[in-house]
Amino acid sequence: MSQSTVYYLSGLGILFFINLVAVWGLDLHFGFAGVNSFAFIVFQAVGAYITGVFSLGRANTPVTFETYILGVHWPWPLALLLGGIAGAVLAVPVGWIAVRRLRGDYQAMAMLVLALIANSLIAAETGWFNGATGLESVPQPFGNLNVSLYDYHWVFLALAAICGVVSWWIARGIARSPLGRSLRALRESESALAALGRDPNRLRTIALVAGGFLGGLSGGLLIQYVQAWGPASWLYAETFLFFTAIIIGGRGNLLGTALGTLLVPIGIVEVTRELPQFGYPGEFADFQWVAIGALMLVFLWFRPHGLIPERKRVLRPRDDGASGQEAPARALARGSQR
Amino acid sequence: MTIVLFGLYSAALYAIGGVGFTLQFGVTNVLNLAYGSLITSSIFVEYYLTGHSTNLWLAMLVGGVAGAVLSFVVGFVVVGAFVRRGAAGFSIAMVTIGISLMIQYTLEAIQGPVVNAYASSNRSTLLSVAGVNLDSQQVTAILVAVVLMVVVHLVLRLTKLGLAMRATADDVSLTRVSGVSPARVRALAWLASGALCGICGVLLGIGIGTFDAAIGNDFFITAAAAAIAGGVGKPYGAMLGALIVGIITQASSAIVSPAFSSISAWVLLVAFLILRPQGIFATYAAEREIVA
Repeated sequence: MSQSTVYYLSGLGILFFINLVAVWGLDLHFGFAGVNSFAFIVFQAVGAYITGVFSLGRANTPVTFETYILGVHWPWPLALLLGGIAGAVLAVPVGWIAVRRLRGDYQAMAMLVLALIANSLIAAETGWFNGATGLESVPQPFGNLNVSLYDYHWVFLALAAICGVVSWWIARGIARSPLGRSLRALRESESALAALGRDPNRLRTIALVAGGFLGGLSGGLLIQYVQAWGPASWLYAETFLFFTAIIIGGRGNLLGTALGTLLVPIGIVEVTRELPQFGYPGEFADFQWVAIGALMLVFLWFRPHGLIPERKRVLRPRDDGASGQEAPARALARGSQR
Repeated sequence: MTIVLFGLYSAALYAIGGVGFTLQFGVTNVLNLAYGSLITSSIFVEYYLTGHSTNLWLAMLVGGVAGAVLSFVVGFVVVGAFVRRGAAGFSIAMVTIGISLMIQYTLEAIQGPVVNAYASSNRSTLLSVAGVNLDSQQVTAILVAVVLMVVVHLVLRLTKLGLAMRATADDVSLTRVSGVSPARVRALAWLASGALCGICGVLLGIGIGTFDAAIGNDFFITAAAAAIAGGVGKPYGAMLGALIVGIITQASSAIVSPAFSSISAWVLLVAFLILRPQGIFATYAAEREIVA
């Protein structure tokens, strides 16, 4: 393979892991806890901005005409971690606004509007994150490493893969724990769970915070990779890219959503950039979005549970001898009776 | 005074759009997130079909018919097929989003890299109140909105169809056993909502003078703010909500900055959802289990 092909493929690998972290974060919100997290892109955005302003130096407004807060030039691992934490912290007010009282369509609507408000507000307030222009020239991790552009891709790929593994560890840890069982039960029947003495809002907030951390982390990685971030990078429609990945892959299944990530943000959006472009600049991207919308409909019609559906959890009760598949809420009921 | 008059004009558009949205949501119980792209496509159809005509009456006729047909296809045919297949709640919202993405980006591809603009029409000042000039288009929009609201009111209150619509919104099974076909009522709701959406679209497009493939989306969310402030499924509430939203958007754009005109309406929407999801009047939300 030529060097440029390798460079391209390693770049795809980096984007795959960055998107994967975000998709798993959204899967914690939507797949496990059943929260209609239409504002998910905001978690990625806040992670990117916070990582950006912590790793950038002080804004030199008279020279660059940029204005942003902080600019403390902290080491990149700290900035990346703070990006994740910012996503987690943001999840608390979002949960308070959209999840505590609202359900279903109304929750989706509130989330959608929150994403619009956040984007317009940050574009209008030039003092926070340089307004509509956004942040630029964000320092990269290992920026002083004296390697070629090609080799640097491998370094970043390793970093993105490590973040992917950490996300897998977090998401899988939650999915397998009693907490994950409670979350799935909550998704299926909130009243059953509440009747068992669990606090639905507390559970939802935990899932939101964990997913928000992953969203923020992916945003931090993204800004460190592409080195720029502005309101045009996180229009509310971007959230539906992640939703399509989850619907196609299989909601609530980490392997399925990884496959969905490979197919949608990478397969449809990134790989097709290599196809011969046509029309005016941007026309190709329009057809990508049409394809994403069509794919969403096709899967919702033919395969609503995705390519790799969530595994039915079979819990064999030890004492009463009954066997077979059980709804999560009933399994939980059994667990708490004991 | 400027705020009040221009607020009244904005309110006219939000009222038409908001009533169309709330009527369909109330009757069919489908959160139609493709409503914004239906608004946009009505403008596109009108623009290309009439050769950029700015004749408001012709535009409203073409836009209204286009909106009704599109809304029927999207809502009754496509979404209806998904509902019959057993999709519910969140899946239906996702279906409308998928449709919305397809419509919006197809239109963007049709539009190309240019901004569509209407030839500047003859905008004579028609009405001058306390030093504020309203042109003939703005006055027409306000009058059309008033007439449409009266028509919606009369249809809902005085006709059998209106009763059937209110009954379907209230209790589907009870309506069915009374010998009314809920499917027919739903079809009519999608048609009526689409017609209102198309009329509001062309008034918006011609009023601004330029448009692109994203014009309907932000407007839709603001119109939905009006509908939700008034209580979902309540056309009268949406009218009052539109008045509030119209004044608030104009006031915040005049007092704070134009960037905040939509933001203030959206904040109002979220505030209503959290604090008073049932809207200004009534008990509707509690019956429908909007809130936990």
